[in-house]
Order: sequence, then C-alpha cells, then structure tokens
Amino acid sequence: MEQPFTEQESIKLINEMIGKVKRSYVEKGIASIVWGVLIMICSMLTWARLQFNFNIGFDIWLLVFFAVIPQIYFSAKERKQKKFVAHDDHTMTFVWTAFGICIFIATFYGSKYGNGEMSTIFMMLYGIPTFITGGIFKFKPMIVGGLICWVLSIISLYTSAANDMLLMAACGLFAWLLPGIILWAKYQKQKMAHV
Amino acid sequence: MFKELDPILHSQLRLAVISLLISVKEAEFTFLKEKTNATAGNLSVQINKLKEAGYIEVIKQFSNNYPQTICKITKNGVDAFELYVKALQTYMNPHGEG
Repeated sequence: MEQPFTEQESIKLINEMIGKVKRSYVEKGIASIVWGVLIMICSMLTWARLQFNFNIGFDIWLLVFFAVIPQIYFSAKERKQKKFVAHDDHTMTFVWTAFGICIFIATFYGSKYGNGEMSTIFMMLYGIPTFITGGIFKFKPMIVGGLICWVLSIISLYTSAANDMLLMAACGLFAWLLPGIILWAKYQKQKMAHV
Repeated sequence: MFKELDPILHSQLRLAVISLLISVKEAEFTFLKEKTNATAGNLSVQINKLKEAGYIEVIKQFSNNYPQTICKITKNGVDAFELYVKALQTYMNPHGEG
C-alpha cells in the first residue's frame, strides 16, 4: 500500500534525491596529484640537465608514458566500482582522450622537427583540458590552473629553452598538483563527516 | 488552476527513483536501493512500474559473473518528470504569480 504524500513532500523528496546524487560525486584528486608531481619532476630534471650539462642516460619524459599504464588501470578499476555513471563522465573521457592524443602528436612532431620551442605548445595544450574540466565541474582552482598554463605558454615565447622547463614545472604545480591537493583535502573532509 | 499530477510519478519511491535517475546518465539497482533506503522487493516492483510506463529503461547484464541491473531514464521519463515538476509549481503558486 502506497502512502499518500503532499505536493510539498514531493518537492522535498526531489531535492533530497538530487542532493544525494551530488554528494555521491567523489573525486579523490589522486590522478591530478600524480600528473602534477610527474610533470614537475620531469621539468625540473630537464631544467637541471640543461643548466648543469649532465646526462641521466635516458629521456626522463618517458616516465610520463609509463605512468599512463597504471593510470588506465586505476581509472578502469574505479569505474567498475562506481555504481552510477554521471552525465559528465562521458564528456570528460573524450576531453582527456583528445588531450592525450594531442600530446602524443606534439611529442612525435617535436622529436621529428626538434624539441626547442615545443614547451610553448605543451603548456598551451595543458591548459585546454584543465580549463574545460574546471569549467564543467565549477572547480575554480582548475579554471585558474588552465589560465595560468596559457599565460606561462605566452611567457615561454620570451624565455630560453632551459627556463621554459621551470615554467612547465609551474604548470604542473598550478594546473594539477594544487587542484589535486585541494580535491584530496575535500575528499578526506567528506570521509570524516561520514564516519 | 491546479494541474493533475502524474499518478505514476506521484508515489514516494517512484518519484525518488526518477529524481535519482534524472541526475545521472545511468545507475545500478544497488545505488538506487542505497539512496532510497527501500527494500529490494519493493524497489523492483516500482522499477517495473516505471519501466512499463516507458519512463525508464532496465538493462540486465553480468559483471564479474554477478548479475547487474542498470537503470536509465528515457526521453519519455524526462518529459514526464518535467511535466510533473511544472504541475507541482501550480500547487505552490496557484495564481501563476512570480
């Protein structure tokens, strides 16, 4: 037997359910932290290598490609554990896949025609998915991070290839590491609230 | 003037399910059960009613050898939900003010 309920109760119920879904969106920020740290390490090491003229024996940027493998694994695992698919999940997959493809093409282009000024292009590319993600999720740190990438990309037109690496490290910090830390802190706070 | 409320949606559990599904692309049965605090039996019955009305699509599949039920709101479901909310507004604001 269904219980009768009033129009006011209907509105309250709709709001309550929509609120429950919103609270189910949990973004731990781990991927963002990993990418931020990785870009910073690779950039700083490249800067040090160019500045102090030493060789570590392999291309440090290969780390980025090796990091893709665990990233795909953990994303797939997380997706399997998730009990719902959000409207924006599909959009995000396409935005970040497009970014990955562009980075791959840019890397290939750089290795064919010389890496000299490619950092400007990379920083410009870093800004695109970061800015879109921030905009879709109304997450200001990523919107600002995306904008910073573009500003640094313009600045890199006037700096040396070695110093471009410092700008690249700043991109990693502002576009991914800091927003990731903010997400992680939010997630921990949310988790504590449910204990 | 009060508009008539869709009897399919004007039921606590069915409205809760539709409100959850309108907010996501698709959701598992277990997600709906967890959020509505309903029993599996009651939820199944109400999901079937929504499915028969054409408001939701139910996909049964296997994931890691376990049966999995996925629910998705249909275009008809979205339209019905929008009409329901509009009708509710006439109760909140019967003279059409604001």
